[in-house]
Amino acid sequence: MAIDKNSAVENARNDLARRLNINAADINQKSVEDDDFPDMALGAAEDGEMSGQMITSGWRIKLEAQGQTYEYRADKNQVRAYKFKGKNHRV
Amino acid sequence: MNRNNFFIHLALALVLILVAAFAGQLSRWRKEWRTHMSPVPTTDKKKPATVEEIALSETRNFGRPEVLVKFKTGVSQEAIERLTASRHDRVEDRIENVNGLEAIDDLDNADAATIVNEYQQLPEVEYAEQNYEIELDEVDSPLVPILPHDPQFNDQWALANSGQRGGKQGADISATLAWATTTGSDKVVVAVLDSGVDYTHEDLIQNMWLRPANMAPYQDNELGTIDDEHGFNAIDSASDPMDENGHGTHCAGIIGAEGENNLGIAGVNWKVQIMPLKFMNAGGFGTTKDAIEAINYVIERKKAGVNVRVISASWGSTQRSRALEDVIRKAYENDILFVAAAGNATTNNDRNPHFPSSYNVPNVVSVAALDRHDELAKFSNWGVKSVAIAAPGVDILSTWLGNAYEEKSGTSMATPVVSGVAALILAEHPRMSVDDLKKKLLASTDPIVALKGKTVSGGRINAAKALQN
Repeated sequence: MAIDKNSAVENARNDLARRLNINAADINQKSVEDDDFPDMALGAAEDGEMSGQMITSGWRIKLEAQGQTYEYRADKNQVRAYKFKGKNHRV
Repeated sequence: MNRNNFFIHLALALVLILVAAFAGQLSRWRKEWRTHMSPVPTTDKKKPATVEEIALSETRNFGRPEVLVKFKTGVSQEAIERLTASRHDRVEDRIENVNGLEAIDDLDNADAATIVNEYQQLPEVEYAEQNYEIELDEVDSPLVPILPHDPQFNDQWALANSGQRGGKQGADISATLAWATTTGSDKVVVAVLDSGVDYTHEDLIQNMWLRPANMAPYQDNELGTIDDEHGFNAIDSASDPMDENGHGTHCAGIIGAEGENNLGIAGVNWKVQIMPLKFMNAGGFGTTKDAIEAINYVIERKKAGVNVRVISASWGSTQRSRALEDVIRKAYENDILFVAAAGNATTNNDRNPHFPSSYNVPNVVSVAALDRHDELAKFSNWGVKSVAIAAPGVDILSTWLGNAYEEKSGTSMATPVVSGVAALILAEHPRMSVDDLKKKLLASTDPIVALKGKTVSGGRINAAKALQN
């Protein structure tokens, strides 16, 4: 099932809450912007993951919690945490 | 000398003079007779016309008339004819639309340059010039472009860039000239290692590989028997490599959408066999382990007799895998070229390698992307040591899921262009080794200013050059 912008933000917020072990309500949405990513892993490949080298349109989501900014990337197929504590994660 | 001897000598001298005069007249008569009777030199030696090379060749005299003379205004036609007759010439033709311009034939058949010089000295003459022969220059490459009638071909700037949508005319791979030599062969198999391929797409279906009827289903020691009728799916080790994303279908169309079928687009190859290998999922990503499984499948099928000579790999990451490198090396040992995307991170692969394109294995050809202006695509990776070649990779129209067509950008799109050219070469030279095939590709480029210091070859792939011996 294709993911839209709103559900992508919701997925990202829930994922960040789980990773930080906080309430999702305590996470602020800083920005959500349309963007083109360099590949089909949205420039956020996990270890051992290969992706198609095609420019992919999606959304760059920035969330704020506990005084820090966290970036998520999403398109119609996926949501990914970008460099969360130095590592990429597919949600 | 006595008186008698004097008269004898005088008589002999008179005889000799008469003989000499008569001989001279004979010679003149013979010359005139030859002039009148000899056929006008023919121009049958002209070479066939080509699209590129009609040019004037001012090399030799055409025959008669030798000269074109423009007499000054006021010189009557009678005066012109008297003048030419007095020089033992004749007016061969009058050029009615240019007053005083005459085509003049020299009956003595003298050298045209001499005649021109003589006429130029006359006060009645404005100018005189040789009647030059116009002939077609002989050229080395009498190729005539072949244009397919696929309805969206005009949008395929990578194959024929006429400047459409503001592009740079000629910034393409010269596919239309290459097709004068070959449009591909269904004896060449290209493996598209990707998200699978929509093998039911109407513009691909005729060019899809099918396991030959006399070949047993694939056997794997761990996976068991797999009915690989349409190819291989490494994700679930099942038989169906149907594409759920579109990326692999797009790459397949670039290599080999059926040409001249009045549908959609034309691939670099109008005829070829595309073997779908699926290791990336509906999202367009997959694991190193599944990529290795799929390459292993290709090698096994090559050993079983399938003429798979190229693997097209429009994917990658920055993570090095020795296992992936080893299986690509095994493909090399089995005479299989491995064409790989350089990556889209706008980085220098010499410093920040991108894999598998950066593996130092002899069969790997790393491909950067160009836009329709012959500029390195703004996203493309480069590397003067590690990126071999460049090909069009921006706004590339190709096949998509559900009999659709879409424009996509990436080194993903540039990679199958090069894979396709490799397949064209193999159509012409089926026994060419993988080493020679790679050399041929790298030697078959048009130098591009934007690529200087950016790639090994410094040029854009040129399919027509790749097919020249």
